[in-house]
Amino acid sequence: MATTTLGPATGVSRRSWVMDWLTTVDHKKIGVLYIVNSFLFFFAAGILALVIRSELAVPGMQFLDHDTFDQAFTMHGTIMLFLFIIPVLSGFANFIVPLQLGAPDMAFPRINALSFWLLPLGGLLIFSGYLFGGAAAEGWTSYVPLSNRSPGVGTDLWLIGLTLVGTASILGAVNFITTIFKMRAPGMTLFRMPIFVWTVLVTAVLILLATPVLTAGLIALFIDRNYGGSFFDPSVGGNPILWQHLFWFFGHPEVYIVILPAMGVVSEVLPAFSRKPLFGYKAFVFATIGIGLLSFSVWAHHMFTTGAIFLPYFAFMTALIGIPTGVKMFNWLGTLWRGKLTFSAAMLFALGFISMFLIGGINGVMVAIPPVDFHLHDTYFVVAHLHYVFFGGSVFAVFAATYYWFPKMFGRKLNEPLGKIHFWIHFIGFNLAFFPMHELGLLGMPRRIADYDPNAGWTLLNSLSTVGAFMIAVSIIPFLVNIIATFINGEPAGDNPWDGTTLEWATTSPPPPYNFDRLPPIHSERPLFYLAHGDDHNPDGSDLDAEQAGGAA
Amino acid sequence: MQPTATSSRTRWRSAIRVAAPLLLIFLLGGCMLPPEPKTEAGKDVFNLYLLVLALAVIVFVGVEGFLVYAIVRYRRKPGDDTLPKQYHGNNKIEIVWTAIPTIIVFVLFTFSMITLAEVDAKSDHPGAVIEVDGFQWQWTFRYSNGAVVNGSAAKLPVLAVPVGEPVRLILKSLDVNHAFFVPDFLIKRDLIDFGEGIPPNELEFTVTEAGTYSGQCAEFCGAGHADMRFSVQAMARADYDAYIAGLLAAVPSASPADCGTTIKLAAVQSLKFDPQSLSAPAGESFCIEFTNNDTVVHDVGIGAIEFDGTDVQPGETFTYVIPAMDAGDYEFHCNIHPTMTGTLTVGS
Repeated sequence: MATTTLGPATGVSRRSWVMDWLTTVDHKKIGVLYIVNSFLFFFAAGILALVIRSELAVPGMQFLDHDTFDQAFTMHGTIMLFLFIIPVLSGFANFIVPLQLGAPDMAFPRINALSFWLLPLGGLLIFSGYLFGGAAAEGWTSYVPLSNRSPGVGTDLWLIGLTLVGTASILGAVNFITTIFKMRAPGMTLFRMPIFVWTVLVTAVLILLATPVLTAGLIALFIDRNYGGSFFDPSVGGNPILWQHLFWFFGHPEVYIVILPAMGVVSEVLPAFSRKPLFGYKAFVFATIGIGLLSFSVWAHHMFTTGAIFLPYFAFMTALIGIPTGVKMFNWLGTLWRGKLTFSAAMLFALGFISMFLIGGINGVMVAIPPVDFHLHDTYFVVAHLHYVFFGGSVFAVFAATYYWFPKMFGRKLNEPLGKIHFWIHFIGFNLAFFPMHELGLLGMPRRIADYDPNAGWTLLNSLSTVGAFMIAVSIIPFLVNIIATFINGEPAGDNPWDGTTLEWATTSPPPPYNFDRLPPIHSERPLFYLAHGDDHNPDGSDLDAEQAGGAA
Repeated sequence: MQPTATSSRTRWRSAIRVAAPLLLIFLLGGCMLPPEPKTEAGKDVFNLYLLVLALAVIVFVGVEGFLVYAIVRYRRKPGDDTLPKQYHGNNKIEIVWTAIPTIIVFVLFTFSMITLAEVDAKSDHPGAVIEVDGFQWQWTFRYSNGAVVNGSAAKLPVLAVPVGEPVRLILKSLDVNHAFFVPDFLIKRDLIDFGEGIPPNELEFTVTEAGTYSGQCAEFCGAGHADMRFSVQAMARADYDAYIAGLLAAVPSASPADCGTTIKLAAVQSLKFDPQSLSAPAGESFCIEFTNNDTVVHDVGIGAIEFDGTDVQPGETFTYVIPAMDAGDYEFHCNIHPTMTGTLTVGS
């Protein structure tokens, strides 16, 4: 049974701050390390995106040769997904989940440190291909037989690096699941956990079940490439489709690994700035679990054109997953309904998430319909779709989380006007970059090409998209200025700058080691609201049963 | 009630309320269409797409509309510190809005299965059966009369098909995965080497209109992926028969008697010439006897004199007649594989 007992009070260390950060096992510092590391990879992969968009701005080969271009989009996709979005959300979860549960730390602090430190190692290995004759260039999906035949160690380094990153994810998932089930404060029942914790829990279960499948595939491919294995080589009895199954059996739950915590973030930010609870807490929890379960039955919708799968089954399951997603959308709208909305930068990014993720959901339904996908598969429409989900969805939520939790992490509020400038340039640039890709895909432009026919009618849309990509890059400038300016001279945040209702706002900003000097009583999923306003007019009243602090969790 | 500024503003507002969604639908709908379909199955896909797009636009306008409405309507007034009513949810509403997406996805699923059956339908007697081989990074089209067309970087391959009859393509990959994609047909299918005993993918379509349609590989296949283009020429039956018969009357191989000097050249595994340097006499015509010992098709081209030789299938030999050249060093290459090069030294 977890308790709120403080850790050793003699935690004052004489080590230098560098050694302190390198050896820390404090979940908050590890969370910050995750986030900083992820943003560094985000900038690297973002520069690759600019390189790609520059080459595609007009037809012809201007800056790169084909192989360099292939390396650029392979690294862009791999780094963005595996070393930015997944870990940055893990970073926020690392910082926030123990606080929201009223726990002193993660369940396994040393494993927590290990799973972080594997990330920069894996990421650098993946990137190091550039030093040894070229990085992997088979796309982030690395389909065999192409990846089986490509010479060069870039692909081997990619495989080793991803195996490490995957291992880090699995360790992290075990840690989150244990923390959430065993470390909750007294009174924090499962149905009183903040939604963000719920989404992290379901995400961790998905990681635990899906990532080992990818890791097995990576190792099999490494054996094929280096030790004469024949898992995937059809000429000696292997099966090239097997790779696609293994990859997407991980790869589709992976989409939800990336989007569920982002939904969690939005479900924290919207209520805070609407001054209302999330509409339909339990419905939202069940929708999250539903998405998690369904996500394991839809993987082959990435393989509609292979001619090797049973289309009606995967089309049906994929259609079903639209239902819980729709429920979530309505619950967010219900949260805004009759609220009192304040448009802080965090709120703007959360609203941006809703409006952009909606598009990512709609165009996702379009490509999930097999006959339509026969036309759209592997075109820029799919590129538009995945960016509306990953970027319009997850990355908007990452920025919402940054503006929302930065005061808790560092004790200072980010500058609001700069945050709003960041949002608007970002929002417009994002749509300019990715909306035209829908039409490019409909017109038939395949993805992963460095050059296209000047007579194909794709030039204007490509040029617009490139302008949008550079706008996104420009929007990062006010963000970075904001971070630096806030560290130098930011407005002190206080414990609870947003009138938040979950436990992380009950401690100081930044929180002390082991988080809480004392915890408020936990009677509902909004303990701080209860503290400030008493009974929150809960219609069924069930959450407010007189239960003493210190009761069984 | 007499007209006042307020009521005219209300009318103006309600006009916007009607016009804005219509404008959005028009903008979104107008720039979100695939090309006009040129096959029968493509028309089915197009119609299904229109249904999907209509539903998509309705959902989009509905949700974004509410979002904008909420942002404007429920803005917190400055200095307003009162709490709004703390709604925690409503089970009846949850049921309703679970039902809405359920109905939408079931409608879409039903229509998509109907269209899928039409798109995947196979005829008993297709008007033409053509084997399409994809390899890094070109196409070979093999017609039922034995005619073979190989593409090269200099000359994109042309796939001739009869109009108005079902055409069946047998899609074989000779190496990595590729995909046959013609945007105007609204369809694509992967070329995958599934291994022994598993038949290759097939794709069947009926082109409805004569014309030339561009296509290209849609599954990333390596450095030459972007250049792996082709075109489809749909023509009347009689023209098609004449076209493929004409292909058969290929350039005959030169006989050794025509050649003063004959140089032997071979293509070997993993895209290489053997030998990689040749020498030939200056100022007189000579022959290159080219044997393809590789597993994919090759040819010989000499850029400086714009010589572009016929393609040679794996295991076959062909003798090229090369016109007289001035003394000097020249590069020769395979037109299909631009990285496969050698040096030809003309003169002593």
